[in-house]
Amino acid sequence: MLQFFLRRTLGAAVILILISAFTFFLFFSIPQDPALLACGKNCTPDSLKIIHENLGLDKPVPVQYLEFMRGIVMGRDFAVGPCPAPCFGYSFANNQPIFDTILDRFPTTVSLTVGGAAVFLTLGLGAGMLAAWKRGSLIDKSFSSASLVLSSMQIYFLGPVVLGALVYSTNLMDSPKYTAFTENPAAWFVGLLIPWMVMATIFTANYTRMSRSTLIEQLQEEHVRTAKAKGMSGKTVFFRYAWRGSLIPIVTIFGMDLGSLFGGAMITEQTFSLAGIGRLAVDSVIKTDLPMIMGVMLFTATMILFFNVIVDAAYAFIDPRVRLS
Amino acid sequence: MNIAKKRRARAIVVALAAGSLALTGCSSGSKNTSEGSNTDADAAKQQAVIPLGDAAASQGPAVEVPGAKPGGTIRVYQRDNFDHLDPAQIYVSDEGLLATLYTRQLTTYKTDKNGKKVLVGDLATDSGTVSDGGKTWKFTLKDGIKFEDGKPITSADIRHSIERMYAKFITDGPTYVQQWLSGGGTEYRKALPDGPYKGKHLPDSTLETPDDKTVVFHFKDPQPDAPFALAMAAYGVVQKSKDTKEKYDAAPQATGPYKIESFKPGKSMKLVKNENWDAKTDPFRHQYVDGFDITFNHQASDSTKRLMADHGEAKTALSFTNAVDPLQTREVLQDADASKRVVKGYQPYVWQMNMNMDRIKDKKIRDAITYAMPNKQILGLNGGSYGGEVAGGLMAPTLAGYEKGYDPYGKLKKPNGDPEKAKKLLKEAGKTNMKIVYAYANTEANQKVSVVVEDALTKAGFDVQKKEVDSASWYAQMGKVKNGFDLYMTGWGQDWPSASTVIPPSYDGTQIADGASNYSHINDEHVNSEIKRISRITDIKESTKEWQKLHHYIVEKVNPAAPVYYTKQLQIYGSKIGGAEYSDTINYIDPTRLYVKK
Repeated sequence: MLQFFLRRTLGAAVILILISAFTFFLFFSIPQDPALLACGKNCTPDSLKIIHENLGLDKPVPVQYLEFMRGIVMGRDFAVGPCPAPCFGYSFANNQPIFDTILDRFPTTVSLTVGGAAVFLTLGLGAGMLAAWKRGSLIDKSFSSASLVLSSMQIYFLGPVVLGALVYSTNLMDSPKYTAFTENPAAWFVGLLIPWMVMATIFTANYTRMSRSTLIEQLQEEHVRTAKAKGMSGKTVFFRYAWRGSLIPIVTIFGMDLGSLFGGAMITEQTFSLAGIGRLAVDSVIKTDLPMIMGVMLFTATMILFFNVIVDAAYAFIDPRVRLS
Repeated sequence: MNIAKKRRARAIVVALAAGSLALTGCSSGSKNTSEGSNTDADAAKQQAVIPLGDAAASQGPAVEVPGAKPGGTIRVYQRDNFDHLDPAQIYVSDEGLLATLYTRQLTTYKTDKNGKKVLVGDLATDSGTVSDGGKTWKFTLKDGIKFEDGKPITSADIRHSIERMYAKFITDGPTYVQQWLSGGGTEYRKALPDGPYKGKHLPDSTLETPDDKTVVFHFKDPQPDAPFALAMAAYGVVQKSKDTKEKYDAAPQATGPYKIESFKPGKSMKLVKNENWDAKTDPFRHQYVDGFDITFNHQASDSTKRLMADHGEAKTALSFTNAVDPLQTREVLQDADASKRVVKGYQPYVWQMNMNMDRIKDKKIRDAITYAMPNKQILGLNGGSYGGEVAGGLMAPTLAGYEKGYDPYGKLKKPNGDPEKAKKLLKEAGKTNMKIVYAYANTEANQKVSVVVEDALTKAGFDVQKKEVDSASWYAQMGKVKNGFDLYMTGWGQDWPSASTVIPPSYDGTQIADGASNYSHINDEHVNSEIKRISRITDIKESTKEWQKLHHYIVEKVNPAAPVYYTKQLQIYGSKIGGAEYSDTINYIDPTRLYVKK
C-alpha cells in the first residue's frame, strides 16, 4: 500500500509541475500586461516600468517561472517581506500572500462541499437504491422522472428561484451567509442550508440515476444470482453483493466531484455571494492576477489529484478483486 | 479621473453594470425624488463653486444628524474587494468612500447648517493660508488629533505621508501634490527615489515643517486648487513609526472615527470605533454606529434583492457603492416600502464618444458623428433615466461651470440623433460612405450599444467597421496613441469639483502619450495655451469662468468627442438605517452620517 501511495504521489507531483508550467506560460501568451493591475490613472510607460520591476515582470518568463517554483519548495524573499514555503507569492492586486488567502477561503468551500455532499450522497444513493429495489414500480418511475428533470437544472437557474421563494418573497429564511463552524455552529448550518439544498438537488438527481442503473446492473450479475440461488435473503443479497459491487463507479464519480468541489464551486459561490475558492479563481482571472491564478490552479489540481488517489485506494477496500490484482 | 475603478481592467464592466464610480468631486443628489432629473435648485447647488472655509467652519463636532442615536452595527454588501487601504494608493471610488471612515487629511468637505458645501480644515485648523502668488500654502494642525494608538499627529507625520508617496512601491493614487512640488510626469520621483525610508527628505524649500504644528508647501507654480487636492483620501496621514511600507496597504492605522479590526481580502472586513478619534476635532464625520460589518462578492442584483426584501439583517444593511440593479429599478420604485428607502444623485462622470483626431481630421465629419449619435438609446442600455441623462456638453452637472441646457449639437432636442443633418455634413465633407472603425468593449451592455451606434452611423452614411475589444484591457488599448481606431467611448470624472481636473487631462495636447487620458488626441494650440494660462489663475471663480469659455471652444470649435450621457446613482438601504443621504462630495450615500434606528 505504501508503494502504491508513493507511486501515485510522484505521479501527482509530475502532473502538478506540468500544470504549473502550462498555466504560467499560457498566462504570458495573452495580450494583457498584468502590471496594468497595479497601475492607476497616471499609468505612463515610466510608471509601468517601475511596476514591472516591483513585480519581477522585467525578467524573462522562464526565470520568473523557476523563481515561482523555487518559492513553492524553498520560500522566497519579497519586498513585502519573507514568504515561507509553500510560497505562491503575493497578489498583484492587493499585495496579500496567496497561500494565506487560499487558506482563508478554503473553509467556506469545505463547508459548502461537505454539507452539500452529505445531503446529495444520502438522498441520491437512498433514492437510487429504492428505485432499483422497486424496479418498475411507481416509486421507481417517479424517482426516475424526477431525477431526469432535476439533473437538467442548473444552479444559476435554481439558485435564484429558491432564493426568490424562500428569502426575498416570503422572508422564510435569511440570505445565505458563511459563518465559521467554530464561531457559531447553528449560524453555520442555517447560513449554508439553501446552497446545500440547491447544490444537492442537482447532484442528487445524478446520483439517483447512477446508483439505480449500476445497482440494476449488479442485480443481474451471476454472483448475485448465485447468492439468490443459495437461498440468501433478498436484503442480504441486495446489500452484501449487489450494493457493494455497484459502489465502484459511484465512488469514482464521487471522488472526482469532491475534488472539483473542493477546488471551488464557482457557480454556487457566485449565485449565493459566498467567498470561497471558486470565487477567488474567477476574480483572479478577471484581474489577471498571475500569482493568484497559479495558486488557485495548483490548489484545485492538488485537490482533484488527492481525491483520485483516495478513490483508487478505496477500490481495494470495496472490491476484493482489485486488492488481489 | 477616468472610470477606472478596480483598475482600468474593469472600468467599462463596472460602469455599465453598477452605473457608478466616484472618488471625490462634487455631485448632487436629492432624497426620495421622483423619476427624472434633479430639481433646478439641486443643479444650481452643484454648479456653485465650493468656497474655502475658515477656522470657525473647520471646528468640530459635525452638525448633528436629526434623530441620530448611538449604537448598532451596520451590514454592508459590497461587490468588490478593497484592493488598497494605504491612503497613498487610493484613487478609486469605493476605497475613497471607505477611507472617509478611517483616515483624515489636512482638508475635507462639509455641509454647513444651511446645506451649503464648504472646503474646511480636517486635520488642519482651516483650509490653508496662501501666499507668494499661490505658490505657498501653509497649514496649521489642530490640537487633540491622534492616531488610533493615541499618539498625537504632528507635522512630521504629514511630511512623512507626502514623502512616502515618492517611493517606488506607491504605484497607484493621485500625483497632483507630488508633481506640483517636484515636477511633472514621473519626474517628481527623482526628487526622493526611495521616499523617506533611507533618511533623505524633501528640502525645506519644497516642503517645510518648522514646528510640530506647521506644514508649508512650496509649489513650483501657483496652485489655487491645493486645498482641494489635499482633501483627497490619498493624502491621508500615515504615522512614520507605524509605516510598514507595502504591508501598510492591508493594515493601515486609523485617524478617523473607525478603525479596521479585521480584513480578509475579497471576503470580509470589520470596522469598529476608534477610541482615539475626537469628535470635537472633526467638522465632517460622526461616530454613531458601533461598527460596520462588510462582506464582498455581492453583485448589484443580490444587494438590491436583499435590501428590497428588508428581512433580518438586511434591515440594518446597505451597500456603500452598489447601485440598484438596473433590471430591478422599476420594481424598487414601484414598491411602496422600498421606494421610501432610496437615495439618488449625479455622479461626476461624462461618457463621451471619442473621435481619434489623428484619423478624423475634418471637423465636419466629427460634427456629423456627433449629430448622428443616438444618445438616448445608449443611455437606455445603461440604466435609462436612473443611470444618467443625455449629455449636451463635456462638463458633468457635478462640476463648477456646468451649464444646464448647454447643447450646441441639439442632443437634448433630438436625443436619438439627427441622421439627416449628419448625412448632409458628411456629403459636404465629400466623405459619404466613409469607412469608420468603431471600437467597443466586449461586455453585454457595450455589445448592445454597438448595435445602436452602428445603426445610427450607417443611417448617417458611414460605413461602420466594428471592432470588439477585451473589456479587461479597454483603457490600456484606447490609451495607446496609435490605437488604430476612429471611435471609442470612455468616461471621465473630476477629482475635485473643478474643471482643472477634467479639461487638462482630457484635452491638453502637450500630454498626448501612451497611457495618457487625452483619448481623442486633441492637440489644439489655443486649447493648450489656455490650459496653461487658466491653470495659473488663483481666483477660483475667475478660473471657473475661463474653464467654461474653454469648454465652449473645445466642444464647438474643435469637437474632439461627442457627449453621450452624464451618470447618476440610485441606492437603496434597509429600513432600520437612519441618516442615509446622498453625498455631493463622496457621490454615494455618506457613510459618516449613518445610524441604526432603534
